[in-house]
Amino acid sequence: MENKGLKEKYIELNMGPQHPSTHGVLRLKLLLDGETVKNVEPVIGYLHRNAEKICELDFYCDALIYFDRMDYVGAMNMEVGYLEAAEKLLNIEPPERVVWIRTVMAELNRLASHLVWAGAFGLDLGMLTPFFYVFEQREKILDLFTEICGSRQETNYMSIGGVYQDFNDKIIYKIKEFTKQFPKKLDEVYNLLAKNDIFISRTKNVGILEPEVALDYGVTGPMLRASGVPYDVRKAEPYLAYDRVNFDIPISKGKDVLARFVVRFEEMRQSVKIINQAIDKIPDGPYFNPKARKSLMLRLRGEGDVYARTESPKGEFGVYLVGDGSVKPYRVHVRSPSFKNLSILPYLSKDVLIADMVAISGSIDLVFGEVDR
Amino acid sequence: MAYEVKEENSKDGRKVLRISKESLLELMGDIKGSGYDSLSLISTVDFRDRIEVVYHLTNSRTEEMLAIKSETRDSRMPSVTSLFESANWDEREQYDMMGIIFEGHPDLKRILLPEGWVGYPLRKDYDLSKVQYVNMDDEGNDRVSFDPGDGW
Repeated sequence: MENKGLKEKYIELNMGPQHPSTHGVLRLKLLLDGETVKNVEPVIGYLHRNAEKICELDFYCDALIYFDRMDYVGAMNMEVGYLEAAEKLLNIEPPERVVWIRTVMAELNRLASHLVWAGAFGLDLGMLTPFFYVFEQREKILDLFTEICGSRQETNYMSIGGVYQDFNDKIIYKIKEFTKQFPKKLDEVYNLLAKNDIFISRTKNVGILEPEVALDYGVTGPMLRASGVPYDVRKAEPYLAYDRVNFDIPISKGKDVLARFVVRFEEMRQSVKIINQAIDKIPDGPYFNPKARKSLMLRLRGEGDVYARTESPKGEFGVYLVGDGSVKPYRVHVRSPSFKNLSILPYLSKDVLIADMVAISGSIDLVFGEVDR
Repeated sequence: MAYEVKEENSKDGRKVLRISKESLLELMGDIKGSGYDSLSLISTVDFRDRIEVVYHLTNSRTEEMLAIKSETRDSRMPSVTSLFESANWDEREQYDMMGIIFEGHPDLKRILLPEGWVGYPLRKDYDLSKVQYVNMDDEGNDRVSFDPGDGW
């Protein structure tokens, strides 16, 4: 083969699908001028298994395990998203105790998800140490999950109209123990990263995203809030118990990669605040709705269409559910936030260095179970 | 207004506008002008004789949400990429999964499945019993066939 790469102005380079800093199976087709990125074309679909079609073939309650495997580091939030839609369609109200338990679990999982992101983002920029600090804390959350639902990541904890296991006093004590020590550890990680000159110089003023562009591309979640738009579904259209707890929506005017980092850490502090309030407010009562008990679960029928939006750790997670009156959903369509957030990568990576592009793609918080579905 | 809009409410109390596909672009332009500045998602539902296309839009200031429903019988829809950049990947996804051709899309090709895949998986008449295999050709590109080939 003739080597003509050096004679041409632009070089085409494949990054991924097995590149360590692509967070899964993302393949980027780069067009390079020296070390400057001229064009990026993301190629996705390597993890595609068409969960939407599989959901159509199963009963309403069976779809949950496929939702677990969409955003596998934030499985609880995926379950909440599906159940918001399914319970509206099937006219099943979860009891009050369930609403509060779900709030606690969703926020714990948001912490776990953001912690994974912080660790992986440090790795992207060549810092190995924060990774161990955050995984120590994440491991504690996963231990709590094991105690409550029996598994670590793909928990399959919630069901239509309830949850599979009730909280007991031991669990509540353990969660309180966890949130007591967590903020101090979080500050440690924050200082490790944010007080590092190299980290600041690699993230500040990199990947500037103007709010109008972000809205045009459908970007949501911490990415949008770091551009200064205070849009959070937990406030915009409160679900679960978010209208009865006190918390703030952190925004930043920085618009760059550093702003996304700061917003996510502030969000973790707010999550701890929510957990502390919610854990004290869990009322007594049943932990499932008798209308959806196990023997009746397969007979639930729904008609019409609903769209439920929830705030997953990555952004606005939406489920569009259509029922035709039978025991199986007619159509399930998922709005995955990572998919929309990834679509902005070609725009942000015009004329930046390859190293900056890695920082930008790291700041998006990609999870490929969700992008490819 | 030159077009006819039917207003209704969905099961969860969301406002839904129903519009014919000929006047869709005009309505979307007006809706965007009235403050709905983010296209949240485009979904499609296959009702066998027709395909319903649903657009969910968000107003970033009032944080309200609105659904616009339209339908097509010949699998063709006007593209809204000229109004919303986010429609680009959404329409590619719906083309990939449901086989709707969005007229005016700048680069309409499959996004999740490899090029050359036969059929549209989310159609109700898609044959699930026929297994398709993805292999790599000498150039490193994906090649789809019904024949397992080597490596499977």
